[in-house]
Amino acid sequence: MGEVVGERGVVLRAEGLEHSFGVIRALDGLSFEVAGGELYGLIGADGAGKTTALRILAGLMKPGRGTARIAGKDPADARSGVRELLGYMPQRYSLYGDLSVGENLRFFAELFCLDRRVFAERSERLLAITRLARFVDRPAEKLSGGMYKKLALACALLHRPEVLLLDEPTNGVDPVSRLDLWELLYGFVAEGMSVVVSTPYMDEAERCHRVGLVHHGKLLLEGAPERLVGGFSGVVLRATGEMERVEGLLEGVGAGVIAVAPLGGSLRVVVAAEAAGGVERELRGAGAEVERLRPNFEDLFLARAGEVEGAEGRGGGGRSDLPLRR
Amino acid sequence: MDTDRARDGRPGRGMRFLRRTMAMAGKESLHVMRDPRTLYLALGMPVVLLVIFGFGVSFDMNDVPLAVVDQDQTPASRSLVASLGGGGEFEVVARPGDARGVDRLFRTREASAAVVIPAGMQAAWDRGERVPVQVLLDGSDGTSASNVLGTAVGAIQAESSRRLAERTLGQGGGGARPLSARVRLLFNPALRSAVFFVPGLIAYILYIVGVLLTALTVARENERGNLEQLFATPVGRVEVLLGKLLPYLAIGVVQALLVLAFGMVVFDVPLRGSVAVLGLGTMLFLFGALGQGLFISAITGSQQVATQAGALSSLLPGILLSGFVIPVETMPRVLQWIASLFPARYFVTILRGVMLKGNGLDVLWREFVALGIFSVVAMTVATMKFKRGGS
Repeated sequence: MGEVVGERGVVLRAEGLEHSFGVIRALDGLSFEVAGGELYGLIGADGAGKTTALRILAGLMKPGRGTARIAGKDPADARSGVRELLGYMPQRYSLYGDLSVGENLRFFAELFCLDRRVFAERSERLLAITRLARFVDRPAEKLSGGMYKKLALACALLHRPEVLLLDEPTNGVDPVSRLDLWELLYGFVAEGMSVVVSTPYMDEAERCHRVGLVHHGKLLLEGAPERLVGGFSGVVLRATGEMERVEGLLEGVGAGVIAVAPLGGSLRVVVAAEAAGGVERELRGAGAEVERLRPNFEDLFLARAGEVEGAEGRGGGGRSDLPLRR
Repeated sequence: MDTDRARDGRPGRGMRFLRRTMAMAGKESLHVMRDPRTLYLALGMPVVLLVIFGFGVSFDMNDVPLAVVDQDQTPASRSLVASLGGGGEFEVVARPGDARGVDRLFRTREASAAVVIPAGMQAAWDRGERVPVQVLLDGSDGTSASNVLGTAVGAIQAESSRRLAERTLGQGGGGARPLSARVRLLFNPALRSAVFFVPGLIAYILYIVGVLLTALTVARENERGNLEQLFATPVGRVEVLLGKLLPYLAIGVVQALLVLAFGMVVFDVPLRGSVAVLGLGTMLFLFGALGQGLFISAITGSQQVATQAGALSSLLPGILLSGFVIPVETMPRVLQWIASLFPARYFVTILRGVMLKGNGLDVLWREFVALGIFSVVAMTVATMKFKRGGS
């Protein structure tokens, strides 16, 4: 993926979004912008505030503070016509399970008052590219996870929105369907649509033009994924050996170890560059096999989150609570 | 992508409102038709209730099993017994020798009423003395007992006055009783329970089903996450609520016609007034009941709570505070006030007024106004409580 595709100007803007649910602070000054034709990833662990941010941008709730704008319009103001510009696919299953694929499509087309002929054309195309045409009479609740998500995507695309908000679209979707979904998104982005995708999966960050790393309701990092990873200064080790012993050792080492996460039968250890040599020696001394890995997006995230938590005194040593893709 | 963003050829505001509302209504109808629970509630329950109330619950008295202890065994005592059995209300099932036998008959439920005629009744009667006749009733069923009491005492008094008349006549007194009551029952001359019940039953069924079905509808979408997707589209809350309401309004009308037809054909209940007035009242009442259901649905959020709140707020007022079973006028003042908060009370009055008395708007306008106020308030509050997003 290339750099910012921003020649069409900003179409989505979140500025200083703050929101609390009781004592839980879901958003803590989140700001980001998305340009026309850009595929933007909101990456973060569960509970980081991604869904709250997307719901505010979709006009489903108002932020405690801050502003959200879609094409300059307030998404919470239904009369501004902003909903015609927006496509939103919630994380939860939100279509009507007892209605068939075709009936769901028709229902949402009616809510957008699409011309019958236009609906026929678009639904035919969407059914074809999502490969759902064969299942047009199947109730939505009888679809597999991947097919369901594709139907939800089709329903959100019928009215050709300028901005598409997708909340964890790949969650619960098999790897093949996940690739399908990304291919579909690239197609729409190429046609000029702006897409915001939230995901807890770090490996998906690399599929976006630009990503924002969300942690405890604010952005930790933002930029094109390969540039962010390229700028990462830490060292990543794979340590294989007697797990308990290796883990105990790493806890003892303390300073310099930024993050530890399971990796298959081994541990993935992110270490500050200056401490790398020392940590490697100690691990080898304890009988572990050690191998240097190429840093990826997740290491960057773990390192950055670890730094922030250390600074805020949250503790936890940057250990990942993120789901890892193996 | 943008080239065929055909916003120009789009329909106008009113047309869009109509299309979205009808889309909601169409979708809701599909839910109803595909959900066996809803279908049962909508069409099965009225039939079940009709059968239970129409055939099972009856205050009519027929063939109450009567035990007779005739210790006199004279023409006079036989005449009294004959007068008790004559109207079809009582059937003499046993003739124990003394009052102690009655106790066993009551326990085994072979008899639920007994008359003890003392020895020497005829003789005492001929001497012109008062004769006590004992009436024994099974009091474990209070409602039946009080009905039987009235009938039995009535029959004994009738026999008594007949005797009195005979005697005065025999002494050449001209045969005139000083006072005689000529009772004529209007609107339900035979005092048949069905005539009284069926109009109340229409209100009861429409109320429960109307409130329950709609109470579930918004709560279900909330629970299943549908509202999340729905509210990201241009659909407005009035369109959502109105669209949801229409199919249930249609179901309500079908139910009303079903119960009405059943009542008229099977139970011979009259429809003396105007069908238009009845229809208007039914529509007003349905709007109120559906509004109440939507309100419950909008504030509860979960199907389980909505079902309970819906059932409680329609079952109890529908059966106890509507005048369906117990006349509202005889309730304590506080209960009358509470009853006046629920639409069922007015609808029962309208139904009985139109069906049994042939009343029109000139008599029933207060009830129509009350129903109208309830409907408008319920719908307004439901719409206000039904918010985008919720949290």
